[in-house]
Amino acid sequence: MGKIRTCAHALTVIFMNVSTNNKKDKLAGQLFRALPYILAAVLWILLITCGQYYLRKVEDLSVFMFDWMYFREAIAIPGGFLGVAGSFFTQFLHLPWLGSLMWIFILLCVYQLTVRAFCIPRSLMSLAIIPAVLLIIGNMSLGYGVFIMREQDHFFAPALGYLASLVPLFSIRRIKTVWGKLLLLLAWTAAGYPLLGVFALTGTLTAACSVLTDSDSLRNEKITTVAVAVTLILLIPLVEYNFFTSYRLADSWRLGLPTASEEVWNRSIRTPLQLALLFMPVMALLSHRLKEGRRDRLIQATVFALSAISVWGFWFKDSNFRTELAMSLAVDRSDWQEVVDIFRKESDSHVKSDEKAYKARSAKLEGVKDRNERRIITDRFSNRFFEPTRTMVLYRDLALLKMNRALDEAFTMKDGGRPQKSRTQIPMALQSGKQLYTQYGLVNMSYRWCMEDIIEHNWSYSTLKYMAMHSVIMHETSFAQRYLNKLKKTIFYRRWAIEQEPLAHDSLKMSSAEPYRNILPYMCFDDRMTNDMVKSETFLMRHYNEEEPPHATPEYDRAALFWAMRIQNIPLFWNRLYLYVRSNQVEKLPRSVEEAAFLYHNLDKSGFDLPYTKEVQDSYDAFNRFVKTNPVVELKESAYPYSRKFGKSFYYFYYFIRNIQTY
Amino acid sequence: MRKITIPILLMLVACTPRIPATFDSVDSVPVIFPDYTDVTIPGNIAPTNFLIEEGADSYITVLESKSAQAVIKGDKVKIPTRKWRKLTAAPEISIRVYGRNNKVWTAYQPFKLTVSDEIDPYVSYRIIPVAVESYEKLSIRQRNLTNYDEKVIFANTMVETNEEGTCINCHHYRNGETDNMMFHVRHFKGGTVLVLDGKLNKVNTKTDSTISAGSYPSWHPTHDYIAFASDRIHQSVHALSHDKLEVLDDNSDIILYDIRNNIVSPIENDTSQFECFPDWASDGKSLFYVSATYQAPSGIPRRDAVFLDRFKFHYNLYSKPFDPDTHTWGASRLLYDAVASDSSVTWPKASPDGRWLLCCISSHGVFPLDQIESELIIFDLKDFSYRYADELNSPFAESFHCWSSNGKWLMFSTRREDGVHTRLYFSHIDENGHFSKPFALPQRDPEFNREFLNAFNIGEFMKEPVKITPWQFASFISSTEATPSRYDSKREK
Repeated sequence: MGKIRTCAHALTVIFMNVSTNNKKDKLAGQLFRALPYILAAVLWILLITCGQYYLRKVEDLSVFMFDWMYFREAIAIPGGFLGVAGSFFTQFLHLPWLGSLMWIFILLCVYQLTVRAFCIPRSLMSLAIIPAVLLIIGNMSLGYGVFIMREQDHFFAPALGYLASLVPLFSIRRIKTVWGKLLLLLAWTAAGYPLLGVFALTGTLTAACSVLTDSDSLRNEKITTVAVAVTLILLIPLVEYNFFTSYRLADSWRLGLPTASEEVWNRSIRTPLQLALLFMPVMALLSHRLKEGRRDRLIQATVFALSAISVWGFWFKDSNFRTELAMSLAVDRSDWQEVVDIFRKESDSHVKSDEKAYKARSAKLEGVKDRNERRIITDRFSNRFFEPTRTMVLYRDLALLKMNRALDEAFTMKDGGRPQKSRTQIPMALQSGKQLYTQYGLVNMSYRWCMEDIIEHNWSYSTLKYMAMHSVIMHETSFAQRYLNKLKKTIFYRRWAIEQEPLAHDSLKMSSAEPYRNILPYMCFDDRMTNDMVKSETFLMRHYNEEEPPHATPEYDRAALFWAMRIQNIPLFWNRLYLYVRSNQVEKLPRSVEEAAFLYHNLDKSGFDLPYTKEVQDSYDAFNRFVKTNPVVELKESAYPYSRKFGKSFYYFYYFIRNIQTY
Repeated sequence: MRKITIPILLMLVACTPRIPATFDSVDSVPVIFPDYTDVTIPGNIAPTNFLIEEGADSYITVLESKSAQAVIKGDKVKIPTRKWRKLTAAPEISIRVYGRNNKVWTAYQPFKLTVSDEIDPYVSYRIIPVAVESYEKLSIRQRNLTNYDEKVIFANTMVETNEEGTCINCHHYRNGETDNMMFHVRHFKGGTVLVLDGKLNKVNTKTDSTISAGSYPSWHPTHDYIAFASDRIHQSVHALSHDKLEVLDDNSDIILYDIRNNIVSPIENDTSQFECFPDWASDGKSLFYVSATYQAPSGIPRRDAVFLDRFKFHYNLYSKPFDPDTHTWGASRLLYDAVASDSSVTWPKASPDGRWLLCCISSHGVFPLDQIESELIIFDLKDFSYRYADELNSPFAESFHCWSSNGKWLMFSTRREDGVHTRLYFSHIDENGHFSKPFALPQRDPEFNREFLNAFNIGEFMKEPVKITPWQFASFISSTEATPSRYDSKREK
């Protein structure tokens, strides 16, 4: 209690900038010095709680292996060595607590070395957290961009690059002669550029700027050093371009920075990192002017506050994105119950906010007669209601199908198609295509997306795993072994690869092992030529719509009926229902199926007149009565009140889940 | 001096592995990768390093010929180049492997390498991920066959940007000489890059009257003509098959490009015929090509139709006489009726001595690379008899072959190692048209082919390295627009 009181008092002293006495001053100073470490601890807690799935996904999409060929290919571009170093650390994000701890340690090094490199006065040390903050923002604001990064080394590589680029600054101060300084710059730039890319060039510029403000150096020395540094920055990339064949000349001064496969993302990804790099020469020019002053505490407090606000403000906090990542990792583990639980938990967590949003919207709509105005108000509120993305829905449906519960439960859960909160829509094929296609037995299409991913975004643990799985399923032993050998050269996937080896060589063993046991029943269709046109859900719909394998398994027929219900195609539903009943030896239809059958039978008097249960008939009557008393004018507006009453029925799905955008 | 020399000599003696004096023998040759047992190799090829896979604790390998001996320890047999040159000076090299398990040596049956005619010192190929639509990481590289040096001729990434990527393909040389060579650049800054007498040019062979820019080139051996296919290529994924892809044309013709006058003229452009893969006879007086008859049904998009009807595509083999001086074509002649045998013949390549014609054969279609069943078939041009080249074929796809300039060696693509990744293999042909057991392109690290996750595509022999640097190509391609070719339908067909 006493400590808290002391801290509170210290804060009062700091923020009010009231210097009462030396003891309190000292206390405040200590608190400021401790603040970066306190913030680092808070960041770590945030990372392992809010960011753990994101960290795992970054690792999943990266690769590091103890393999000479991997290393040789990686360093075939300036900055490639930095990428390798970044990938080395990225692999530890497999254990988010450990990887994030490493990252935070490196960020603290960035902070500490910035203080020392630029001789920042103790009373203004908070300025040194700016580069670390920018590095954090660069990573944590990425969101869906993580799926289109060419290399997944962006977590560690820029921070390591920043640290490395301080080396010439430290070194140049120890050299007294101008020739020595010039030689250092030449050696650093020539040797550093192939390894560190633009970070080496920044180091050169920073070192030259520090000479410019060095009071011991003569004017001519300063001019010569800066002129040589600028020449080196311009010339070395031009010269070294002739030793590499892996990039465009115009990119020479950007190499080493993270790159996305879509140009529109590059600016947002690179801007914070470029600002962090810019910080170095600017600080080298201005640091000598930083003197202790009366307003230092206010400045410190402002910098810390702004840093905390910016990190949290730029942090990509979309809950659908987080849920997608969590579900994706559970799909990889074939932990189907977990997939459904994650979805349900997310959906349930919005019950109160949905209700609140509904009340607020109703209040706004009250008295509004004009339909257009009502639509505008409804649209304005639509983001305040929970709506899953298509990826979430497809993961959930897949999990339910695998557990043979899709026909009972899928249509009782929230549905919809909230667009990704993203700069550009990342195709589902790229985000989750390889998982969905593999699990639905469409292994060649999954293979195709692994390959596209490799070409556009490089190898990853994820693609290596899925490529190995495809080959194991298809009994392509040598092919599988190739990928398993690669995974055996990693730390965290070695065991998995060793476990797969016997399965790759023994198809009988494979057919009874997870996850293959649950995939093979879906592979009962004949070969045909296909193309998903980068629309995964549409492709799955088409697959189950068009394929009618003569020796379909019960699992396949269940999936086919499920997709027929999703497509809301009545003739197809009756056809698939017949096949499903025949192969699954069903005695009692799942509730959603019965509701769909009863609805369709009543709608166009087609299909079978089944002995429908009283519950289904009653619920249909109740739905119809509700429609009469609550006529639907606008689907969007009426969706919520209907979902409160009939959200778990197929009728709601049929009438309200329409015009969903697939991607 | 003596003080230094003696310890060094002692160290050298100690380091040189000793051939086991006592050992048990087994009746089989050792399992090695790549399989170089009892193959015929060119006298100037790089050392055929290999990996022994017998599961022994240690190995000693003895390579012996009349002119030299080398003893190498370990499972990775990396033969020193100097020793190798001495070994290959003799017509035969005998290799014996000893494996040690539980301190007992076992000798495997020796196998031999037969040293034969020299091979062109360079090959070039595309290095390409086994992909579907993306093509960003694609390069054309040249490899010195007498050692392991590999250099990039040109790489996509040197001009590519995210939205405006390029695709490079169809690298080709006039008679294996690199002063006259070409390759295509598609999409961004696209065109056919032509090196003519060492000078760079870029042309656009797509005209209003042709289906596409030229592809699958064949440079006339004596005159300034290149025969091309002009086709619209599509690919689609097999839903469930060991073949991952199917590549088909939905329309194709063959055209002649007059280099000096920049004129494109039709060779065959029958709308019901899908002509493809032109290849000049060694004397340049006839052109081999393949063609399938297909009439697309109305009512569905042509692209979809060809994939639905993919099994109807049977390409026959034809030859068409040509007088290069007068630019006069004769009537086409059917050489192999693939339709009658329910097969499809593609990729005809005539040997430089004019004696043999090697093709790919499969059940249907035009793109053998992606067909697991694709095999090589050899025609004797003396009497047009043919046989399957069983010495070369494997259970996986064999495709895209090329003759060395002396006609003694064949290089072909094969997926025999894992069914997916294409690798380059070589084989010697004797005067009776029989091939020796094929062997893999030697690599410094014998495990290279297993570790390398890209494919080798379309190997071409070269007598010399490409002299234009990749950076010259990049700068030229980025800065130069392609000169449009003129179309002249009136030229003699």
